[in-house]
Order: sequence, then C-alpha cells, then structure tokens
Amino acid sequence: MANIAEARIKREFKEVVKSEEVAKCHIKVELVNDTFTELRGEIAGPPDTPYEGGNFILEIKIPDTYPFNPPKVKFVTKIWHPNISSVTGAICLDILKDQWAAAMTLRTVLLSLQALLAAAEPDDPQDAVVAKQYKENPKIFQDTAKHWTHIFAGDSKVAMITHMLELKQIKKIAISHHS
Amino acid sequence: MSAAASSSQGGAEGGTHPPGEEDQGESSAYYECNICLDTAKDPVVSMCGHLFCWPCLHQWLETRPNRQMCPVCKAGIGKDKVVPIYGRGCTKSQDPREKLPPRPAGQRPEPENAGGVFPGFGFGDGGFHMSFGIGAFPFGMFASTFNLNDGRPGPPPPASPQHAEEQFLSKFFIWVAVLFIFWLLIA
Repeated sequence: MANIAEARIKREFKEVVKSEEVAKCHIKVELVNDTFTELRGEIAGPPDTPYEGGNFILEIKIPDTYPFNPPKVKFVTKIWHPNISSVTGAICLDILKDQWAAAMTLRTVLLSLQALLAAAEPDDPQDAVVAKQYKENPKIFQDTAKHWTHIFAGDSKVAMITHMLELKQIKKIAISHHS
Repeated sequence: MSAAASSSQGGAEGGTHPPGEEDQGESSAYYECNICLDTAKDPVVSMCGHLFCWPCLHQWLETRPNRQMCPVCKAGIGKDKVVPIYGRGCTKSQDPREKLPPRPAGQRPEPENAGGVFPGFGFGDGGFHMSFGIGAFPFGMFASTFNLNDGRPGPPPPASPQHAEEQFLSKFFIWVAVLFIFWLLIA
C-alpha cells in the first residue's frame, strides 16, 4: 500500500476513535488486518427512520490511490433501501464515485451513509425493486425496511426469529398487492 | 469540546499564557494539509482558503484533470489559482521533489494606482486593443504559401507545341468567361 494512504488511514482511524459520534455510539471503525487496507465500519440506524435501532456493518476497502480515489464501501448487513442493493449490499452514493473529494475521511463517509439511510434517493436507485416499492407503496416499504432492520441489523436472535415469521406475512401482502 | 474552545480563546489572546499539550495539538491542526492530514509541506493555499501540501494538491489535480475542484469545498481550483506560503524558517526545502513540477510562484500584482478611477481600463495604457479588417487575407495567405515560385517550371518556349496548347486553352477560357458574363447579362 502506498505510503500516503497508510499514513492517512492511521490518522483518520484516530480521528474517528476520538470523535463525538463514536462516543455516542453512532459510528465505529475497526481494523480487519494490520495493513490498513481493509476496515470494518459500523453505523447506527438514524432515529425516526425504519432503520432505527439497527447496527449496520460495512466493508471498507482502501485502494492504493487513497485519498485521491474513494474507498470501496458496501453493506455487509442486509438492508432494505432504494440506494443499496438488497442482494449484494452495493451502495449508490455519488461521493463514493465521481463526487469523491480528497479531503473526505472515513468519518465523513460513514456520516454520509447514515444520512443516506435517513434520506433515500429513489430517482437514482441501486435496487430497482426497492425503489419502486418506496415510491408506490411507502407503507409497505416502511414495514419491510423495519423488519429487515430487526432481522439483520438487530442484536437479538429471538427478535430475529419472530420477525422472520412476520416478514413472511409482509411478503405475502407484498406479493398479493403486486399481483 | 471545552478543550477546543479554550485553545481558540488562547489563540485570540495572542498566546499570553504558555500553551498546554492539548493546545499545541489543536494549533498544529490549523496547519494540516487537507489531503494527507499531516503538517503541510511546501504549503499552498487555494483561493477558497484551504491549505494543502503542494505535492498532495498536485496529485489531486492530476487524478482528475477534467474536473478541477477544491478537495474540501469543491470550489474551482487550478495550478495558477493557488498561492504558495513562504514562512520565515523554510528558505531551503528539506525534501526536494524532482519528480513534481515546482510549486507555483507567488504573483506580484502592481500596487493599486490611487490616481485612476478605473486603472487598467484606459485606452492609452495598453490595456485595450482592437482591430478591424476586411481584406484578401486568406487569398493572400494562399498565394504567399503556395505560389512561392520555387521549383516550378517556367513558361514553355514560344515555338513548342505546349505553348500553342496553352495559348489555345487561355483563349478557350476567355471565351467561356465572356459567354458566362453574356449569359449573366441576359438572364
């Protein structure tokens, strides 16, 4: 890994650890290996959204050309959101593509992702199915997103099982509504 | 939060009390490059006021040659739009970077002229040039470019068959021209 990338990640790592958001348990970054090329991020679902109460794990890969090119970020935790693939976790966010700027940091990326959870952009979707539902059936979208949060981003296994059952019902509703 | 507030106060007072360790950390952060997050080396500042190491900013500008923007605020930025910062203690560069182009030099605009209301807008001081022209410029250019008369054969001698041929052609074209003008007149 290029020198500048590693030196910067080390600095950013300290910055995130010291930041107030970490103190309030809103965001978190952990090392995966010692080379600083791969990190594990975590963001809390923002309040007053279907993601509230969930903790979402992110895979962050730092390219050699960082910070001149953006980090590669995707959701490991499954999430129901118009701009995030419900299958792969790939994220559609401009700052992770052409709108990246070298002064952005891990902290600002994680906060931007948290903001994305609070304000979806259904007109620039990553997951067309979710985006369609978001636009056409906001209520069902809310319920689905909330249940996905409980199932995949919650920390209680019991909640996971009970909500898995409820999800089946939601799916039935969704399918019947669709047909 | 309180540490940051106290340090900024200390800065405003002009450092009347000796800075503590945290104060030092905060004040050096003012001179951190926005790209490498280290204390800026060969510092330059953009028109929007953001500080960078010149090598860092240069690499950023090289990465996106089409969309040159400030890495912090996305304002327009360019090689000639940054100002180098020369501190007193850094007359010789510790790390000469041969691979990079040198940091852009500072610009020294002339001091403002107190007499003129609109300095630089007068017609007489060389700030304004205008020229009009209608002429045979392109034809003249073609003529001078292509008819340099070097290496071209001269006219054939009068008795040769080529001479007769050329005479015939020239007469023929004169007749064509006369017929054309005649047709123009009656049409």
